[in-house]
Amino acid sequence: MTKTPAPAVELRGLAKHYGDVVALTDVDLSIAAGEYFVLLGPSGGGKTTLLRTIGGFHRPTKGEVLLHGQEVGHLPPDKRPTTMVFQAYALFPHMSVTQNVGYGLKVAGMDKAQAAEKTAAALEMVGLDTFADRRPHELSGGQQQRVQLARAFVLDRDILLLDEPLAALDAQLRKDMCLELKHLQEKVGITFIHVTHNQEEAMTVADRIALIANGRLVEHGAARDIYRAPQKAFTASFVGENNLLSGRVTETAGQTARIDVGGTALRVDRRGQQVQTGQDVTLSIRSESVALDTAPDTEEDGTSLVGSYNEAVYLGLTTSHLVHLPDGTEMVSRVIADQDDMMPAAGAPVRLSWQPDAIRLHVE
Amino acid sequence: MATVTTNPVGRTRPADSPRESWSEKLGRWVFYLPLIFMVLFFAIPMAATVVFSVFERTMFWMEPGFTLFSYENFFFSARLTNFLDSMKYSLIAVAICFVLGFPIAVFVRKSIPQVAQHRVVLLFILPFMVSEIIRVFALRPVLQRNGLVNTTLQNLGLIDEPLTVLLYSHTGVVIGEVMSFLPFIVFSGFLAMEAVPKYIFEVCDDLGVGPWRRFCDVILPLAAPGIFAGSVFIFVNGLGVALLPNILGGPGAVNAGLIATQAITALDFPLAMAVSAIMMATLMTLLWIGHRLFDLTRILSPLS
Repeated sequence: MTKTPAPAVELRGLAKHYGDVVALTDVDLSIAAGEYFVLLGPSGGGKTTLLRTIGGFHRPTKGEVLLHGQEVGHLPPDKRPTTMVFQAYALFPHMSVTQNVGYGLKVAGMDKAQAAEKTAAALEMVGLDTFADRRPHELSGGQQQRVQLARAFVLDRDILLLDEPLAALDAQLRKDMCLELKHLQEKVGITFIHVTHNQEEAMTVADRIALIANGRLVEHGAARDIYRAPQKAFTASFVGENNLLSGRVTETAGQTARIDVGGTALRVDRRGQQVQTGQDVTLSIRSESVALDTAPDTEEDGTSLVGSYNEAVYLGLTTSHLVHLPDGTEMVSRVIADQDDMMPAAGAPVRLSWQPDAIRLHVE
Repeated sequence: MATVTTNPVGRTRPADSPRESWSEKLGRWVFYLPLIFMVLFFAIPMAATVVFSVFERTMFWMEPGFTLFSYENFFFSARLTNFLDSMKYSLIAVAICFVLGFPIAVFVRKSIPQVAQHRVVLLFILPFMVSEIIRVFALRPVLQRNGLVNTTLQNLGLIDEPLTVLLYSHTGVVIGEVMSFLPFIVFSGFLAMEAVPKYIFEVCDDLGVGPWRRFCDVILPLAAPGIFAGSVFIFVNGLGVALLPNILGGPGAVNAGLIATQAITALDFPLAMAVSAIMMATLMTLLWIGHRLFDLTRILSPLS
């Protein structure tokens, strides 16, 4: 235990209540040093509360926050190895860019020449060295967020907390800034913990992602695993475009379970999960893994469903075909648009099929 | 429309002369109403004050002429000393109001939930529900020789003799000014704090900025225009409201307003006008300095 370096952040049984409202409950999480970690989840799910608890802006109701192995529950934000980039363009409006970045050092009582040097270096790192004398209101949103980054970097704290840092930017700028954040993190090498509700943003920057919803840590893992093989049905509903099917277990044989979905039997890999006959389960399958064809008369093979065609939604790169299953569930099959030359009539019977390993079983 | 018919066929009415309905015309004039009001009831009387201040004094009124006698009468008498004293004590009242009132404004902005903030500030309007003369007069039984303060202090054994400086003195006037004008610094401070975004406090927490630094480096520069506006308001009222020194003041403890009122009582209208003109000049100089220092237009413009 003592030989491996302590994780940058370790949370043990963390909970935060506001009166009767439970904002966070039972969060256990460990974030390695130098990792780009994303807290992803719907608004009001508790991810910002979690970030602020790590930063010391809230005191947890229960549980412990350990930073580099040290319990920090009693420390104010400035005594922790963390610093925060806020969602709003949280700069001092009456100070220039240089003054904003250097203010933390001035407060810390650093020698003036040394502080000026550090400030200039930080501004250069975020590409704002030519804007040093501007006031915040003379900068664009993206530039203001860079000033916040520079202000955080000069403090030499090694855990950077980012609270929806790109939420106020427009879509194109957000994409650019995402990549830039990722590159900055690689360059600086400190731990980034980034809160967002945007899964694309999360996918772009994250080494690992944790899903937070309803005050609980739903699931965490490498960004790719979260997308490709979500453990929980909630993850499947939130990350990527997944079709969720509810069904009932009719039979288990080895690793395979037979699930009855609206009268059709499907074969699903259990992936080690324990299921019993008669249990209600959820299945998920990504829309791009679902193929559509107009020959519904082939017999049941356990990896396909029959429904009636509803409509096509053209999205540019891809086209989503919406299909109604007999029980009313809507399923989506997404294909690259240009490959598509077949357009069934509305109401026509169609078959949706997939590779056996594309469908996942969720027990909740 | 006659011009249209004389135009060659196919030409339309020029776009720059659309017909205005009478309501549009009226709408345009409505914007001038405040201007008319200000000229009629503010600019003209103010100009008249300056003009009348150089008129000759007669037995019961004044007659046109040019003399600086009233100004001489003001500047080379005890009136000037009294005026300067009242400026000094007004400044003291401003300072006390700021020390007592601004923290209240900061507290309301920072620590009271958003929805309740305006209600809390409204509480400070309550004193205005009582006529000022009664409010001020009610201070007498509190401050006088055998009043509440003196009796309490004597009963506690803190003083042997009653304090006489509390009433009919500069101290009395300052107490009255603080009591009357404290709400204004709370209001203006509250508005001024609008220029201090809430996130600032979290950034300060994160950077480890202590309370004193936070106040000097961040809150004060951002709230300065609003604080200045509130301070000028209190200062000008401290100079001008005759009621306070009239009820709470005594020998020497007068202000410009009371000097002017006394001049009117003595039927010396040019002197009263001269005192008013001097007050006005003082105020304008103050505003000019304030504007140069803080750009007072910022009070009303939200931060971008």
